[in-house]
Amino acid sequence: MKTFFKLFIANTRQFFRDRMALGFTFAFPVVFMVIFGLVFSGADEFQYDVGLSSQDSTQTGVAVAEAFKQIPIFSVTEGELENQLEELKKGSFRAVLYIPEGLVETIARGEAVDIKLYYDPSQTTSIQIIQPVVREFVNSINQMLTQQPALVRLQEESIQLKELGNIDYLVPGVIAMSIMFLGLFSGLPLIQQREKKILKRLGATPIHRVNIIYSQVFLRLLLALAQTAIIIAIAYFLFDVAILGNWLMLLALILLGTLTFVGLGYMVAAFARTEEGAMPVIQLIQFPMLFLSGIFFPVEFLPDFMKPILNALPLSYLGDGLRQVMVEASPVFSLSTDFLVLGGWLLASLIISIRFFRWE
Amino acid sequence: MVLFCMNAGDSCKITVVVIKVENLYKTYGAIKAVDGISFEIATGEVFGMLGPNGAGKTTTTEIIEGLREPDSGSVSVLGMSHGRDSDKIKQRIGIQLQAPSLLPLLNVEEVLDLFGSFYKRRIGVKEVLERVSLTESRKVLSKNLSGGQQQRLSVAIALINDPEIAFLDEPTTGLDPQARRNLWAVIQEMKDRGKTVFLTTHYMEEAETLCDRLVIIDYGKIIAAGSPRELIRSNFDESAIQFEMASPPAKKSLLAMPGVTQAAIDGTEVSVYSKDIPASMGALLKMAEQDENGGLLNLHVRQATLEDVFLKLTGRKIRE
Repeated sequence: MKTFFKLFIANTRQFFRDRMALGFTFAFPVVFMVIFGLVFSGADEFQYDVGLSSQDSTQTGVAVAEAFKQIPIFSVTEGELENQLEELKKGSFRAVLYIPEGLVETIARGEAVDIKLYYDPSQTTSIQIIQPVVREFVNSINQMLTQQPALVRLQEESIQLKELGNIDYLVPGVIAMSIMFLGLFSGLPLIQQREKKILKRLGATPIHRVNIIYSQVFLRLLLALAQTAIIIAIAYFLFDVAILGNWLMLLALILLGTLTFVGLGYMVAAFARTEEGAMPVIQLIQFPMLFLSGIFFPVEFLPDFMKPILNALPLSYLGDGLRQVMVEASPVFSLSTDFLVLGGWLLASLIISIRFFRWE
Repeated sequence: MVLFCMNAGDSCKITVVVIKVENLYKTYGAIKAVDGISFEIATGEVFGMLGPNGAGKTTTTEIIEGLREPDSGSVSVLGMSHGRDSDKIKQRIGIQLQAPSLLPLLNVEEVLDLFGSFYKRRIGVKEVLERVSLTESRKVLSKNLSGGQQQRLSVAIALINDPEIAFLDEPTTGLDPQARRNLWAVIQEMKDRGKTVFLTTHYMEEAETLCDRLVIIDYGKIIAAGSPRELIRSNFDESAIQFEMASPPAKKSLLAMPGVTQAAIDGTEVSVYSKDIPASMGALLKMAEQDENGGLLNLHVRQATLEDVFLKLTGRKIRE
């Protein structure tokens, strides 16, 4: 116990004196979190620039134009149709709405008014959002003008306790990513110490060498908790992301996830002789995981043939578990599956590491 | 523990054997690193293992320390053998590896404190630092130490548990003469405290100065054993006369001089080995009188050294 404690102190000292490791462990996730937060947290207030050209200056016409301007996701600029279309082509607008003159007269004649929506078909994503909104807008104007009560109304209710914005989805992702980095890189000090014969030197003393491993793993677990706490604090105080789930479950997931990735990191250390040799192996593991595990975007975007890959990656399960526990996102896997698969990876990497690890 | 007589003479001291090595073999692929080595070391001795790089010194040392397994043969340290009693042995010995192997981001004090904590018996960090003259550098991170300081810290680690036997594997390699002499003082002090020191080196002068007894090994085999004096005396009756000459005489005429058994000419440098120094010297001086190019320069007579012994036994210089 004393040996473990002394080694832990020594490891901690060394860790905090290694600026590279320190920056990688703490500065990187913080920077990542802040950038993601700034880019995505405004999603609720996100607005599309839309042009409006109204030819009708009657009271009804103005009322319709005003109602259009009130639509929250549009930032509306009025102007002449020709200029507006020019702007649309240049890309300043996502769409342009045209209200012809003589609204009331046309309706009085019993004819339908043609309100036109101009758009650029290449802007597929924004159009998919703008079109239904405008359609709904036109419907409600119809209803207003004909004064018919709605017979069937749609009442929307989210089954989530809180609606998830992009940022809510990303916080668990950043935590999962940081844990993966922390774990995978945890083999490096061991490789270094083996290369510099420090492991051999420690082995020449009466201590049991596993204490070296235990003390390092313990340090990694504490670092993972500190890292997660910082990320959650930034998410909570800066970007208003609330953590809804069970804190104990969160703790358990973080610890298990860290152990699993530390296990993978040690597996790398078991096979790579030098630090230079280990780096590409680590990258080979981490990059596919970053992009295929669905920690930064929902997995529905992945083509079907890639799903089996996703289902094999431990990061998928850590990300999924964290999302479920932290923001109560809808599960991709069940929480017990997440725990089981992570545990399975941990066991496998431990067996392989112990089988192939060399002290010298 | 085995008791035996060191000097089979009138003053037979009873001595305790602390290290006993028998028929040690270790091969790496086709290379016989250790090829049948046996010796015993008594308590309080400074025992040297001398040989060129790659002779098998480190392998032998690490087998005795318990860091490597021999292919065959037995090792007993303080009456115990590795395996079952490995931890007990490690508590009582101090090890300095050839590579300094220090934790680069810990300072001198922290490194010593860490290693000290691994032992039941230990001496204070302050005291060890003083012994190896590192007190002033105690707050320096070990990666910022000079090579000599790292080496001294590495030796300090070997002393932190006040070991009964200290294993020092080429502790002075790469050190400047001043640092080397400082380390010699540390070893001498250990000897004065009655500790046993196992020292490997490829510096002949070091072995001659420090060691009570030594073995010379080459290609994994012991080729000579004894005290430095014994080794020199048993191999050489002669002393060496050395001098420089602008135009050295032919080797033949040197060998013709009285008492001369061997002669070597290297450019302007001449070495003559002689059994009869006065006679040889007389002949040499006579020759010098007749020389028209300035005669003898830097003339001196010296005893044969271990370097000469090694040269004679192997036909090579030790650092070739």
